[in-house]
Amino acid sequence: MNTRHRKWSSFALAALSAVVLTACSSGGGSGSSDNYPSKPIVVVAPSGAGGGWDKTARSLTKVLGESKLVEKTMTVENKPGGGGAVFMAEYATQDTKNPYRLFVSSPPILINNLKKEGNTPYGYKDTTPLAQLTKDFGAIVVSVDSKYSDIQSLMADLKADPTKITFAGGSAPGSMDHLISVLPAFKAGIDPKSVKYVSYDGGGEAIAALLGGNADVIGTDISSASEYLKAGKVKVLGITASERLGGDFKDIPTIKESGIDAEFTIWRGVFGPKEMKDNEKAYWAEKLKALNESEAWKKELAANSWEPEFKGSEDFSKFLGEQEVLIKEMLTALGMAK
Amino acid sequence: MDVLQFLADGFVSALQWKNLLFAFVGVLIGTAVGVLPGIGPMSGVALLIPVTATLTSGQDPDSAATSAIILLAGVYYGAMYGGSTTSILLNTPGESSSVVTTLDGYQMARQGRAGSALSIAAIGSFIAGIVSLIGLVLLAQPLSEIAIRFGPAEYFSLMLLGLAAVSGLASKSMTKALIMTVVGLLIATIGMDNVSGVARFTYDIPVLYTGLEFLTVAVGLFALGEVFKTILHRDYMNGEVVKVGRVRPTRQDLKDSAGPIARGSLLGFFIGVLPGAGATLASFFSYIMEKKLSRHPEKFGKGAIEGVAAPESANNASSGGAMIPLLTLGIPGSGTTAILMGALIMYNVQPGPLLFEDNPEIAWGLIASMFIGNLMLLILNMPLVKVFAKIIETPPKYLLPIIVAISVFGVYAVQYTTFDLLLLIGCGIAGYFLVQNDYPLAPLVLGLVLGPMIENNMRRALTGSNGDFSIFLTKPISLAFLLIAVLWLIVPLLLKLRGKKVLISEEG
Repeated sequence: MNTRHRKWSSFALAALSAVVLTACSSGGGSGSSDNYPSKPIVVVAPSGAGGGWDKTARSLTKVLGESKLVEKTMTVENKPGGGGAVFMAEYATQDTKNPYRLFVSSPPILINNLKKEGNTPYGYKDTTPLAQLTKDFGAIVVSVDSKYSDIQSLMADLKADPTKITFAGGSAPGSMDHLISVLPAFKAGIDPKSVKYVSYDGGGEAIAALLGGNADVIGTDISSASEYLKAGKVKVLGITASERLGGDFKDIPTIKESGIDAEFTIWRGVFGPKEMKDNEKAYWAEKLKALNESEAWKKELAANSWEPEFKGSEDFSKFLGEQEVLIKEMLTALGMAK
Repeated sequence: MDVLQFLADGFVSALQWKNLLFAFVGVLIGTAVGVLPGIGPMSGVALLIPVTATLTSGQDPDSAATSAIILLAGVYYGAMYGGSTTSILLNTPGESSSVVTTLDGYQMARQGRAGSALSIAAIGSFIAGIVSLIGLVLLAQPLSEIAIRFGPAEYFSLMLLGLAAVSGLASKSMTKALIMTVVGLLIATIGMDNVSGVARFTYDIPVLYTGLEFLTVAVGLFALGEVFKTILHRDYMNGEVVKVGRVRPTRQDLKDSAGPIARGSLLGFFIGVLPGAGATLASFFSYIMEKKLSRHPEKFGKGAIEGVAAPESANNASSGGAMIPLLTLGIPGSGTTAILMGALIMYNVQPGPLLFEDNPEIAWGLIASMFIGNLMLLILNMPLVKVFAKIIETPPKYLLPIIVAISVFGVYAVQYTTFDLLLLIGCGIAGYFLVQNDYPLAPLVLGLVLGPMIENNMRRALTGSNGDFSIFLTKPISLAFLLIAVLWLIVPLLLKLRGKKVLISEEG
């Protein structure tokens, strides 16, 4: 029910922004190149209000606007449906030349394009990646009274009898939580198809299943697990980072340390339309770099417990190419690739 | 310090004039949000998060968080109060938890008892709000422990019981009610299957990936269906405008509602505690329960005040219950609580196991303000009943276009697609023909809500047990639900066989 209801949140926001948008999107795509931007800019969150994409889009427009980095008005538009697929279908066909409509995305833009079911024919290559803004990592989490306290013993038991261990996550098979759940097993040489994965409606329900003993292990992101970790309710067996994180997470081993080469970054970034002019790209390269260095943005990141990680357009595109290979490899192993 | 001491401290914080003001603004906006069809509590809360951030920006972090969450929670339960208004007056459910209220509420309004229906809804909501808050204060810890034990097997059996109880929504023919239930279940399969990740009946159309939107279907069936009927049957030609009648409920109304309100409050509270079950189920279940318990089940669907009192109490009580997993475990039980949680996190307050230890003043301030907010809502709503009730005195030539306009606006504002508008109109036409032929609409809507939950939880349970069906029988709570479901179906049949006259045999 959560997923269904989530869409409702966009409601009033939608009503508000609809008014603003009709005013500014009508002449989209025809901006003359010299004085870009000459009109208000819309940042789309391809989901309802309240989720990660939406919050990123709102923080981004807020800081860019308040710090006067971008002089033109910036508004957020929610475009829910199909885990971002509804938005991509429209954006990649109708807005290819409209530099006044940007959007925020994360790994699902790759996953949706690669998986067989619920596929969208449009991926990051139908856009201009402008910058990566934040990062998060996958985490393998068990209850505090679980018999497992390291990833190797879990993998050993999983190898012996995969029917004994139930993994859970907050999203459907073939999507992010599932990939995180099976990544260590896959890299440890276990057939990922044999791993029992139960999907719940959202991360909250998955944590509830773990705490209530209805799941043995969950695949999630480390920031969602942190409060339960602090409260001593869960153990984090490993994270999908290349090296240990700082602060509260400094005692958590990476999965890589255990000799399993499982790395996966949950990035969030900003994208533009496929056909952007050089001066438009340069404009955002400069502004987003300045944003990343501003104090206001650092405060915003801290307030949301987001880890900063900045990549400019070129690095970001290259990174997306590498991530695409990894995801494709996993989906193929799961028999879920297109 | 014990609970009462904490609660007293909470009241000290909630009774500061600025927090009283925040609570008042919250419930006022919430009432408006609830009354406006289409804008549900979730959207209202989400919309106000940036506004509250600005309003509280001058305060220190903790008191800013307290004030903000008091306002936002006010919107949440305020919307639950207001949600019944359009269901009763216009047959247009403002949000999913008010769908069942249309069944008897709209009939009451047509009989000139709109005032009674609206005031009973407000009184029921108030009592339910208080009951669920007392539950929240006293039972939060133990209940949250039980709630997380509730696994897929238990949910499955509970939902199956709900489906078995669907007979309670039948009007004349059980067969037709069952047909509609199955249609609802079938429609519910459209979209990405959440357990296997397979797309079903989507034909590669992205708009169908998330399935048909529940509220589009409900508003189409109920509101537009009614509009089409009024137009096609020229009901408006009679020129007879419905009179509002008395605003206050009669003594008999109050007497009839007392039991349903009490039972609805308790049931709603316990269902609300379960993450993912929510206000919609609470309202459906309490309606069905009242019909089953009533000595005059034939009055339901024809303007029985119990049919308004019970679901309206239940959906309000469930919003109190839903605060338990949110505050004690950081698990949002519904879409709206997920947004509330997001708001708290923005203030660097993490709902979860540590909330009551780390930020007791916020948790208890919120709980205390909910007591105050509920009282404000009652005082606010009773005079408003008179104003709102006047709406139905509007001549149909103005009223019908207004209903169509708000239905279309509401649906489009959420979904942003013309597809949903076509679906809305399609459902309106379907609703008209179904009602003409005595097919009840509520079972279809219930099937649509229950379908994915039954299916997903069954398959989650079976994945966990490696395909062993005995999991549903070996878990005691699950077994209990299944037994009740079986009895629910069998007992009336046995009674019928022994020659007793029971409602279920009406079709003969």
